[in-house]
Amino acid sequence: MSKRATGRLTALAATCIAVMSLPVAGSAQEPGLSDKTIKIGMFAPLSGPNMAYGFDVANAARMYYDKINKEGGINGRKIEVVLEDDRCNANDLVAAVKKLVEQDQVFLLNGGSCSAAVVAAKDYVVRSKIPLIMLNASGDGALYPPTDYIFGAFSISQYAVGGSIVDFAAKTFGAKKIAYINHDDAYGVWNLEGSKADAEAHKVDLQVESISPTITDVTAPFFKLRAANPDALAIVTYARPAALLIKKAYELGFTKPIILSVTGTANLSQLVENVGSKDALKNFYVQDVLADLPGGPKIKWVYDMYKEAYPDLAAKPDHPQAYMPYGIPPAMSIVNALKEAGPQPTREKVLEALKKQHFDTGVMAGPVVFGPQERAANKSTIFIKFDGTNQVLQPGVYTSRWQYKG
Amino acid sequence: MRILGLLAAMAGLIVLPLISSGYVVYLANLLLTFTVLCLGMHIVIGEAGQFSLAQAAFYGIGIYTSGLANTAFGWPLPLSVLASGLVAALVGLCIGTLALRMRDIYLALATFAFGEAMQWVFLSWTPVTGGPNGLRIPPASLLGFEIVNDRQAYPVVLAITILMIWATVVIARSRLGRAFRAVRESEVAALAMGVSVQTTKLAAFALSAFFAGVAGAMFAIYSTYIHPDSLGFQTTILVLTMVVVGGLGSFSGAIGGAIVFGLISELLRQAPSYQEIIYGLILIVFMMFAPRGLFAFIGDNLKRFARA
Repeated sequence: MSKRATGRLTALAATCIAVMSLPVAGSAQEPGLSDKTIKIGMFAPLSGPNMAYGFDVANAARMYYDKINKEGGINGRKIEVVLEDDRCNANDLVAAVKKLVEQDQVFLLNGGSCSAAVVAAKDYVVRSKIPLIMLNASGDGALYPPTDYIFGAFSISQYAVGGSIVDFAAKTFGAKKIAYINHDDAYGVWNLEGSKADAEAHKVDLQVESISPTITDVTAPFFKLRAANPDALAIVTYARPAALLIKKAYELGFTKPIILSVTGTANLSQLVENVGSKDALKNFYVQDVLADLPGGPKIKWVYDMYKEAYPDLAAKPDHPQAYMPYGIPPAMSIVNALKEAGPQPTREKVLEALKKQHFDTGVMAGPVVFGPQERAANKSTIFIKFDGTNQVLQPGVYTSRWQYKG
Repeated sequence: MRILGLLAAMAGLIVLPLISSGYVVYLANLLLTFTVLCLGMHIVIGEAGQFSLAQAAFYGIGIYTSGLANTAFGWPLPLSVLASGLVAALVGLCIGTLALRMRDIYLALATFAFGEAMQWVFLSWTPVTGGPNGLRIPPASLLGFEIVNDRQAYPVVLAITILMIWATVVIARSRLGRAFRAVRESEVAALAMGVSVQTTKLAAFALSAFFAGVAGAMFAIYSTYIHPDSLGFQTTILVLTMVVVGGLGSFSGAIGGAIVFGLISELLRQAPSYQEIIYGLILIVFMMFAPRGLFAFIGDNLKRFARA
């Protein structure tokens, strides 16, 4: 080959490379985005002992995405879901997230039903600059201090759990002194911090006893609180200590209102069994984060949609699982943000849209509210009077005043 | 043949980060960590015959020591890895001392109780471990270079694994390794041959804990967060399963078990509805048809095939 021919070929190759390197208008899309689809990476516990926390929650989010797809998608794009099992375990959750981001190349992440496990992915998500919209994990450890990339607490922030109980006790019973039992762990510290903000606003004296989540005898802490002569007893614990405390209150003749946090039970009939007598629940109220009683008229559409989407599952006992409706608000949040981001969405545009969100889901007690410093979607709850058999929804929605101050 | 296999494995491990996604490299890091954890259990159970069920506790001690060495003292990576191993070894020595008078199921129960107690400590010692909130581990740094992702961590994790494999081989071939096996087979016979049974048992506990501590430090290189939930009995059982499936008492079995069983566990995540059943079935099949472990099973069949 002559020198001239070689030169021409080199020039041609260089031109080809230069042309290939030029950005092509309209084709420079982010990972997980094509002209017809948006790929969303979901993860939840789909197996093992913690499956109840996330299996049907993920199903609820998927059925909402299916609904959006049937209605034509978002700006002409259909949602494509890649679902991974995180086993509610930190190592598995991080593996699932890395697979979704690096192998499946998803546009954004929608997952996390277990708070402790989802925090493990925080640094990786922030470093990868990929939006993570949690499922039903409160995940306060990943939400505060706020980052640009992680949004959650669609069920409720741990900070708001205690605060809204204080709000309810003060407004409903005029309580000026509340006996408050929480756990002596990080969650206990968080919900007490939220409660203090509401106690201060209502000028309520909080008498606090912090107990271990594995406590087996609650006599001493209960006696201490009863000695303070409170107007109401707030139990902000897990199921086992909660049942012990309600039982002890009944045995010792405590007749003031008892208010149990949403973390205290997932199954009211189980609570009755654990407490041992319906008489222990004569003046008993339980907190919930939904907009209505489970299966109530306001949220019936969610249960109907589930039956239609998963007829086989719906026919099984214990389905839908208690937390199923919690999957709808995060999916709504993502769909709204994608719509807001327009026909050429980028991760940055979606994140900006998320930070400004304020909308009512019709599923949860309060609206989804994010802000420049706010990453926890919900801080509102309802209360149900439960006598061991009947559930009566109490009027009003109770919202914690707690705000992140940095 | 063996050298060729080793060379192929080495070549595969070297090119892995060049041809794989970050997810695969993360898995490789995790499997290498579990390999070192399994080698530690191999020393105490497989070599010395001491039924210790506290591997997750020593692993946790290693993770927290490394995190603390990095956060509070800013120690260089090699020093924090060494410190993690030594602190775990020191605790292992104490447990070994307490466990000297026990054997078999009693030893297993005592070490299990220690593991449970340590998990409680990890959950409750909030100023050091972060308690139930977990602990954020800052990126490790080596020679002024900050390790912030799995690809950067991989060469360091691989180098430590190779070092620990080499150390296991050296120990197995040394006088101490022979003493381990003598104690495992018969304490009376070992004593008759002049082996100090107590010192040998203590050494097995300390070395096993040292390996687990180093594995913890390896985890802290590529992971940014640890929660006490990951340091419970389930982790010890997972490691024990890996060692038994690979072949109890077999050095290559401990390595193979960690890799094969780690991969099976990860692959089963893709079959969430059936994974517990499949997992159980695999274990039963292994115990029925390969009771001496995966590698002994493969070796026996290869020999039979060669003879035929």
